[in-house]
Amino acid sequence: MAKFERETYNINGVKTVVHTAGHGEPLVFFHGGGTVDGFDFAEPWTSKFRVIAPYHPGFGESGDDPTLANMHDYVMHYLELFDVLKLDRFNLVGLSMGGELAARFASEHGHRIKKLVLIGPSGIIDPQHPMVDLMAVPGDQVLGFLVSNMDVLLKRLPENPGLDFMGDRYREATTFARIYWEHPGDPKFMRYLHRIKVPTMIVWGDEDKLIPVEHTETWKKFIPNAEIKIYKGAGHLVHLEKPEAVEAMGNFLS
Amino acid sequence: MGAAMRFNAMHFMPYVHLPENHKEYKSTWVSFPNKFFDADKGHDLYNRYLQELVLADKLGFDAIVVNEHHNTVYSMMATPNLIAAALVPQTKNARICVWGTPPNFMLPNRLAEEYAILDVMSKGRLEIAFPLGTGMEYWSNAGNPATAREKFKESLKIILQAWKEDGPTTHYGQFYTYRFLNPWPRPYQRPHPPCYIVGTGSPETIEIAAELGFGYASVFVTQQRAYELNENLRQRASTYGHTLRPDQLPLLTFIYVAETNEQAEREYIVHLQRFFEDYARTSPQFLAPPGYLSVEQLKMRAAMADKMHGGFDFDAISKSFFISVGSPDKVANQIGEWSVKMKTTHINNVMHVADMPHWKTVKNLTLFAEEVIPRLRSRQAPSYRMAAE
Repeated sequence: MAKFERETYNINGVKTVVHTAGHGEPLVFFHGGGTVDGFDFAEPWTSKFRVIAPYHPGFGESGDDPTLANMHDYVMHYLELFDVLKLDRFNLVGLSMGGELAARFASEHGHRIKKLVLIGPSGIIDPQHPMVDLMAVPGDQVLGFLVSNMDVLLKRLPENPGLDFMGDRYREATTFARIYWEHPGDPKFMRYLHRIKVPTMIVWGDEDKLIPVEHTETWKKFIPNAEIKIYKGAGHLVHLEKPEAVEAMGNFLS
Repeated sequence: MGAAMRFNAMHFMPYVHLPENHKEYKSTWVSFPNKFFDADKGHDLYNRYLQELVLADKLGFDAIVVNEHHNTVYSMMATPNLIAAALVPQTKNARICVWGTPPNFMLPNRLAEEYAILDVMSKGRLEIAFPLGTGMEYWSNAGNPATAREKFKESLKIILQAWKEDGPTTHYGQFYTYRFLNPWPRPYQRPHPPCYIVGTGSPETIEIAAELGFGYASVFVTQQRAYELNENLRQRASTYGHTLRPDQLPLLTFIYVAETNEQAEREYIVHLQRFFEDYARTSPQFLAPPGYLSVEQLKMRAAMADKMHGGFDFDAISKSFFISVGSPDKVANQIGEWSVKMKTTHINNVMHVADMPHWKTVKNLTLFAEEVIPRLRSRQAPSYRMAAE
């Protein structure tokens, strides 16, 4: 399996770091509202795809966008990045917040997307099954909402997280807050989901403690032809907990 | 140049009737259940605290100080302008300091109006400090901590424009649009009452004070840090062409005066301990909502918090902060030394903490006014070299 290579771009003044590996059709991966889960889970895809995993502005190795105010700013950022990368049409996979972003991108620029995969995407407002407002959760309890099997996450974390690790998480929480603090759910988001016409797969862990698996029902309403895959015994980070989910996504995109 | 010293009496107006099991709650802020508030007890406390501040005026304190916090037993002054409005007709000479309402949680024109009303009602006795608001306030109010500093700056701009320029004017900004900024009334003091920024000394906030030529009231910082902060502010202000007067850098002290040092400690320390352990108890999450601090500040403060772990230690804490507990001689001497070191003439004294009973508050106010203030006033007025000299 190919190793990821790191490239840095200046996108409209924002340092943007992109990890790329593999050959084949392009597959863009949008990470979620944190970056501790890393990109290595995607290595199996690199045998069939050129996997392109950018860090969003304000996350991981990318720089900050001091004007960032909402999800649509990310859509504009990625339109510019994809121009620079000369990516015309590609597969798009998004996790959690990155899933919401991917769905939004697809609802606006569907002709750029070949196939779409959403992993436990945020964005649905369902008063009967509200997602957890992660910002109200104390830092030391956040991990408990992410996985069913804590081991898959713990091995990705430093043994003794120091001030730098704490600062990195605080920075990402700050970026998250710029988008979500005032409006944890965008009431307009669902209004345009029906525009997604590309082949779509939606992947969820049935033990997701952050975004209830019942949200798949709402997604089905907006994207009736979407293939729904629910993995038993997996939490929100189903892509870390279930290698077979990663394989299924790769097969769907092939 | 010598300048008269000035002494404030500050009150937090805490809700003192904590439930027996309150230690089960990690924080007495933000999420501490408000079912523990008893309105009858609250009524008695408001009356009592107002009396104490009115007494401070009668005893000759130069100013009385109120401030704003939300969702906490630490303070019952969620809207300090209401408290100030109650104090105005009951007081004669003391300046009324609202230090203050975080502009981020109020429409700027409305805050400009409320302060103007207080200033006109009191015939120019109002002073104002603008806080960004503690991290806790951002959990308790609606407002994004990640854009708090940008919004704070814009709010200040609107408020000052409302006071300084003849209306109607307009404002088209990132957070607010005013097509007719034209508030009535206007402040009694022209162009506006004395203004300070109040905070814990983050470089971003210092810079705002420096640029505007405002005073800076630092709170809950160590002696060493308060010193550095004052020096830094003087220097930064001078780069904007402002020369800060000594009275623009109020020094926050915790004071208790009794007949002897031993008696003062016996009567006071238990309340100070409860203040730190129970009334100021909060969580790292509530202290630093996302974006409220820069990453650098967060790391610095986290490192500092690690160092300060451990139980309440009066000796250590009173050496670290400006806490003076003792006989009139001791308290006068300490304040005298601090004012020289900090190059300030403005002493902002917290005269009541936690569950300190009424009689101790009255005693503290009375002894300070009658025994400490005269001792300090009779001294040679300290002389300070101004930054511009």
